[in-house]
Amino acid sequence: MRKFFQSLLAKYMLLIVLAISIVQIGYLFIAIFIAGVADSFEKNDAREEYDFEWIEEKWHEETNQLDAITDKQINDYFQKWGEQFPEAAMFWVDGNGILKEQFHVDKKLPEQWTAAYTAKFIKDRYDGNPFTVIAFAGGSEANGLVVFEMPRENFSTPVEKVYDKFGSILFVGMIVIILLFIFISFLFFRGIRKRLLYLQEAMEIRDVDGLPIKIDVKKKDEIGHLEQTFNQMVDELRDSKEREQEEEELRRELIANLSHDLRTPLTKINAQTYKLTKQDLPATTQDALRTLASSVDNIDRLIENLMSYTLLMASKYKLEYKEVDIARFTRECIASWYPVFEKAGFHVHVDIDVGMDHTWHVDPNWLTRIYDNLLQNVLRHASSGKYVEIKIESVANYDAVVISDHGHGLKVDSDQKGAGIGLSIVDKMVKGMELDWTMDTNEQGTTVKIINDRLYSGKS
Amino acid sequence: MARVLYIEDEKEIGSWVTEALTEKGHDVTWLRSGENLESYLSNIDMAILDIMLPGLDGFSIGKRIKKEIKDLPILMLSARSAVEDKIEGLSFADDYLTKPFHPEELAARVEVLLRRFQKSEDTIEIGHLSIQVKTMMIMNKKTGEEIKLTGKQYHLFHFFIRHLNQILTKEQLYEGVWGEPYIDGDKTLMVHIRYLREKMEQDPAKPRIIETIRGIGYRVKV
Repeated sequence: MRKFFQSLLAKYMLLIVLAISIVQIGYLFIAIFIAGVADSFEKNDAREEYDFEWIEEKWHEETNQLDAITDKQINDYFQKWGEQFPEAAMFWVDGNGILKEQFHVDKKLPEQWTAAYTAKFIKDRYDGNPFTVIAFAGGSEANGLVVFEMPRENFSTPVEKVYDKFGSILFVGMIVIILLFIFISFLFFRGIRKRLLYLQEAMEIRDVDGLPIKIDVKKKDEIGHLEQTFNQMVDELRDSKEREQEEEELRRELIANLSHDLRTPLTKINAQTYKLTKQDLPATTQDALRTLASSVDNIDRLIENLMSYTLLMASKYKLEYKEVDIARFTRECIASWYPVFEKAGFHVHVDIDVGMDHTWHVDPNWLTRIYDNLLQNVLRHASSGKYVEIKIESVANYDAVVISDHGHGLKVDSDQKGAGIGLSIVDKMVKGMELDWTMDTNEQGTTVKIINDRLYSGKS
Repeated sequence: MARVLYIEDEKEIGSWVTEALTEKGHDVTWLRSGENLESYLSNIDMAILDIMLPGLDGFSIGKRIKKEIKDLPILMLSARSAVEDKIEGLSFADDYLTKPFHPEELAARVEVLLRRFQKSEDTIEIGHLSIQVKTMMIMNKKTGEEIKLTGKQYHLFHFFIRHLNQILTKEQLYEGVWGEPYIDGDKTLMVHIRYLREKMEQDPAKPRIIETIRGIGYRVKV
């Protein structure tokens, strides 16, 4: 029950009930007011005589009191009433039925009143219009009838009187009540709207981990319940994200352990091979040992690529964007590769002085990995050309890192196993960082271009 | 000769590395775990650590060692190759080498670290020069004269010696020696390299000590 009274529904019901009550109370008040006003009209108003009963009573009373029934007296009597009721008409029919005095009578009356006409006249006027009071002059039938008539239009009801006098006030009062109701309703709905908008805004705010933040629940009504449910949802989301992170961590750990477990025996093979090479062995055995060592290297690289590829495919390879000066970054990367190429007898041609700052929005670890894979391929599959060129092209629309060699091309190279997965990683990583790349390979060599299209990605 | 502490639980690898480094003239103490490590710390020039070890792992051991002796070079030697592991390792260690590796590469990296931390007492012979690493005394073997360098020249050459055999870019050199970001087009570095060459090279027009690696940077190679 308590819950119900805290609800918006209860508040709205209360508002409606109040509004209806105000209207009802208003009517009641108006009724009382009218009654009161009407009562006071009867007592105080200057035109209190505009009342049927009063006029009838007064007419009888004063007519009965007439003592000398003469034309003049009757005429004076009519004059006196005429001053008080200008709209009224009066006439006197004497005891013999002769029409004697008339006052403000505008229709034709018979000169001689017969019993039948008199009866008809009384019958017509009973409850009719004009309002008619018939009295005997001086209280005696012998003196004839003194008739007072006044159009009923001149009499107004108490309600009409109240409306005449206080109509505008009542009208304004009603308008005020309606406006008050509208205003309270407005406040009520504005309050709801404001809270809903706040809720919407709060739902759109994101924490550092990308999740929505909890809302402070202030009221226990329907919106309060909505806020509570939202908070619950945020908690569940956070739990789910934590679970996901744990799973990710487990997966990474599993891959790392697997990689470790594969590499340890490889290292042992390396160790034994190395020890063997130190001994005085026939040339063929030495050759076999060299092949063994080189196979260990290949397996090592394959494991590395396989692990990376698995992580990349599962979108679990950590990607952290940074602003990287591409010329400087590439130069430092080549610096670490240079001795390797030098040892293999390559001519390394570097042309990366683009002259100004060219910043790429990339993950340096990913870019290093891309360079490593591409340069590794050059070393392994283009050694026949003994040439590698690394340059940066910078035109209006894009910057590109170009790595080219003079090998026999990847397609015709018989010993290209392992290049596939390395290039797949390059492809995944390049596209993962919203860059583009092309590879042009033929018997004269291979050219790989990593393109940062400023128009395409909106980056500089 | 340097005193190297090596922690590795795998017998075959442990004995192999010990043998290989001993061959290179180092005094290697090989432990199978991080237990009782403290007693060895005061008596070593560098540490080589595996990561997956019984008991405390290599990361924890490395951090402890670094906390005790700040200027002791640490090389992580592990089969864990994930970027995260390398990043964690390099947060305290000075180098990270993944297994499988070539003993020559390990020995070269050990040399670089020892030189960088000035743990090596060796005299380096570069062409006609003989350089005492600790004192940075440079002798011209042909003339028997000592080559004296001024402030910035000294720092620049010292930087090269600490990164022997590495190709250093203009940015790395400038920032390493001057401690300020390199501004493209700044000639200061080139001027100083010219001075150095004038003092050291037999023929400054054909430098052999400070090599120019076209498009990349400079190198001083043994």
